[in-house]
Amino acid sequence: MKRFTWAAPTFYIIFLMLPIYWLLNMSFKTTNEILGSFTLWPNEFTLENYIAIFTDPTWYNGYFNSLTYVGINTVISVTVALPAAYAFSRFRFLGDKHLFFWLLTNRMAPAAVFALPFFQFYSAVNLFDTHIAVALAHCLFNIPLAVWILEGFMSGIPKELDETAYVDGYSFPHFFVKIFIPTILAGIGVAAFFCFMFSWVELLLAKTLTSVAAKPIAAVMTRTASTSGYELGLLAAAGSLTIIPGAFVIYFVRNYIAKGFALGRV
Amino acid sequence: MSKISLRGLRHSYLDNPANDADWALKSMDLDWRDGGAYALLGPSGCGKTTLLNIISGLVVPSEGQVLFGDQDVTKMPTDQRNIAQVFQFPVVYDTMTVYDNLAFPLRNRGFAEDDIDVRVRETAQTLDLEKTLFNRASGLTADSKQKISLGRGLIRPDVNAILFDEPLTVIDPHLKWVLRSKLKEIHRQVGSTMIYVTHDQTEALTFADKVVVIHDGTVVQIGTPIELFEKPKHTFVGHFIGSPGMNLLPCELNNGVPLFAGQVVETENGIHSPQECQNLEIGVRPEFVSLSESGIPVKVVNVSDTGPHRIVDTRHGDVRIKLLITEDESIPADNVHITFDPAHTQIYADGWLVSEASK
Repeated sequence: MKRFTWAAPTFYIIFLMLPIYWLLNMSFKTTNEILGSFTLWPNEFTLENYIAIFTDPTWYNGYFNSLTYVGINTVISVTVALPAAYAFSRFRFLGDKHLFFWLLTNRMAPAAVFALPFFQFYSAVNLFDTHIAVALAHCLFNIPLAVWILEGFMSGIPKELDETAYVDGYSFPHFFVKIFIPTILAGIGVAAFFCFMFSWVELLLAKTLTSVAAKPIAAVMTRTASTSGYELGLLAAAGSLTIIPGAFVIYFVRNYIAKGFALGRV
Repeated sequence: MSKISLRGLRHSYLDNPANDADWALKSMDLDWRDGGAYALLGPSGCGKTTLLNIISGLVVPSEGQVLFGDQDVTKMPTDQRNIAQVFQFPVVYDTMTVYDNLAFPLRNRGFAEDDIDVRVRETAQTLDLEKTLFNRASGLTADSKQKISLGRGLIRPDVNAILFDEPLTVIDPHLKWVLRSKLKEIHRQVGSTMIYVTHDQTEALTFADKVVVIHDGTVVQIGTPIELFEKPKHTFVGHFIGSPGMNLLPCELNNGVPLFAGQVVETENGIHSPQECQNLEIGVRPEFVSLSESGIPVKVVNVSDTGPHRIVDTRHGDVRIKLLITEDESIPADNVHITFDPAHTQIYADGWLVSEASK
């Protein structure tokens, strides 16, 4: 029995890695090979697909656009959520619990519900097809999430820390920036990570609210065929590249995510 | 360094306190002498911490004034009051080293780095923190963290007062004793006002020159440990301080003479006006009750041995009376009688000591 304990994790990992392997595998093949035969590894190994992406502005601008609005969104969400979460964790006010719960209801509706109002509104105020438009639209989902995550981390810090800092001669703004934010840095990391993830993978709003100037990579990828026919190799290469930023970000917060789960807020 | 006075202080955590129970602190006038070592003693939830937070400025009182010397500081924010406060549970700045934690209050007040270094090393030495001085504070044990908290409270040379809110709760008993003597020693050296909140009578009595006993948001007595022991002003003090606490016996009045169990009880104070005759009780500490040939007949219920002496639990009817006897004193098998020491037997009306002044 003991000899086979390696089997379960091995199969599990193979299972998890298979789609990713297949994506990478395809990205190094020509479209003809993908469509023409079933091969477990690229027979005609090619970097053409990647070269195409890095030289064609419609492709690489997709990445820039996505990263831009995701970045803006993450910064706005965390900046706004920090004071809000502080208020929820430290003060008691009329209806605080209801308000806190109500924040979550914003996440209960699918993004599609908000696509039409956002589209109409942004068209009216000339925000359509800008990065900030998508960033603000995603805030609707990300700020409540960030408030929830941060509130959990902040409530884990005793109120006496605030009081000690006042006693030690710090005013509130000073304390908040110099002591409090460094103390909950892990929480901020986790909150930022989740904002990033949501905004990075969200397609519907991002696609609806942009046309050319701010078109995200995911929207570019929905273009499966071009003048030269199906370009599956190119799409696979684009997909492989899209995984990278997420993997990169998760690497930095990997240790804190577990803490977030322990607080029951992720 | 100045005298701290509280004038007509009242506080409620509610916006519109309706009745007496809504007030966390009920009408308080107190003076804390500059350089005194005080203990605030009372059961949990009696308003001790509230009072402390009002002095440090973390809580603004609903009514009344806080004065440092002649200056009214009631509305002044904490960071400008020049107060040090140590909380019940360790508070350290996790992102800093032990050294930076200790130096923090000094740096905020613009001390020169050289002076800071001297102070930090001194304080670390007193609290035995030298070995971990340059470690990050986050990895330390609870009692080391609490020592850092204490250190941060003690490090500033110029504070108006140092407030301790049950600072030794998380520390194990042996170290507790050591640190308490340290605090006492530091108090003697620097001579700043120290206010020490606790619900532990041993801690209060060993630390303080003067003990302020709080019960239900009211100061019931301020006095030296001896005064609290020998002459409790309120039955709560008698009951709360001392182990076991004071015996309280219901009493009747016959021509101005207190009677218990049909016998005249000689007391140190007396009843002089008929208004005082509500809910009369006789209070006598177990230390001042003795076995005798005649007196009040009682039944011995239990004897527990505490080492240096024995606690005898007796009953007269429904009333429990405890007394202390030495190891070699013997308890008669039956016909047990007890007497009270008149010099240490007091009479209380509605919980309060019937005052000498009305004599």
